[in-house]
Amino acid sequence: MEQPGTWVLLCYRVPREPSAPRIAVWRRLKRLGVAQLVDGLVALPADAYTREQLGWVAEQVVEAGGTATVWLGRPADARQERELAAAMAEARRAEYLAVIAEAEDAAGRDGAARGQAVRRLRGELRRINRRDYFPPPEAERARRAVAHLARGAADQPAADTASDVEERQL
Amino acid sequence: MKWATRAGVHIDRAACAWLIRRHIDQEAEFVFVTDPDQVPTDATAFDMRGVELSHHGPDCTFETILRRYDLTDPVLWKLAELVHEADIDDERFDAPEARGLDVVLRGLSMVRDDTEVLELTAPLFDGLYEYHRRALLLGRPL
Repeated sequence: MEQPGTWVLLCYRVPREPSAPRIAVWRRLKRLGVAQLVDGLVALPADAYTREQLGWVAEQVVEAGGTATVWLGRPADARQERELAAAMAEARRAEYLAVIAEAEDAAGRDGAARGQAVRRLRGELRRINRRDYFPPPEAERARRAVAHLARGAADQPAADTASDVEERQL
Repeated sequence: MKWATRAGVHIDRAACAWLIRRHIDQEAEFVFVTDPDQVPTDATAFDMRGVELSHHGPDCTFETILRRYDLTDPVLWKLAELVHEADIDDERFDAPEARGLDVVLRGLSMVRDDTEVLELTAPLFDGLYEYHRRALLLGRPL
């Protein structure tokens, strides 16, 4: 049977007030795509990057007057790990679906608006990819949806720039 | 002087080592440790949890060193934006080249050891500095 992998856990408590540092910590954890196990305990699959990142968050918590400890641990059985991974994949799936919906929505717009949507969605995809540790099938679908939109935007360049209007008038 | 940081250097530590050698201590000697307890007693540690020269608040270590050593050169602060984004990627700054820097450093760390990464990246940071120095002089938007 497959052995569960190592996870890095952050056990933390930030004072309720002032709220700014507490919210900064929360945003940073959200950006990292952590699994929230219970209030004040989050987890990520362990690697050099995630260990370092949670270490910095711990530092930030301590600087905000809170307490934080970073742990390495393994789920006691494979089923718990699968459930954790599935919950994380599900959270990312919802984000990819939003990208796919936006890409399909933007496909009907004119060249300039499409170009803008492509740039924004590429950024969004990159942010999601960074916190995606167990890619769901929607990851590839979202990538293709944005690539498809980008091809369309390139084929049909911005129609409303001054130079384009000039070109047509010539 | 001796300076210590975590082994497996990435963008922030490489950039800090360059900054230290160019602007703080020309004779800097770097040691790489895998545990904070291994930091030699005569070394200044950087980019490690619990030390002065490290991440503080929203700052990465490069920014912390600039502040602690009162380095106000705007070109260095421009480089700090690239390092910050390549290291933390929180979109605090608009630094599109940060992503490329991150990839270059990750790739280098796969084929070279820490000492070699510092040797190889020194001219890279020299070049980035020169590029941004000229850009700033000419008022060229980046």
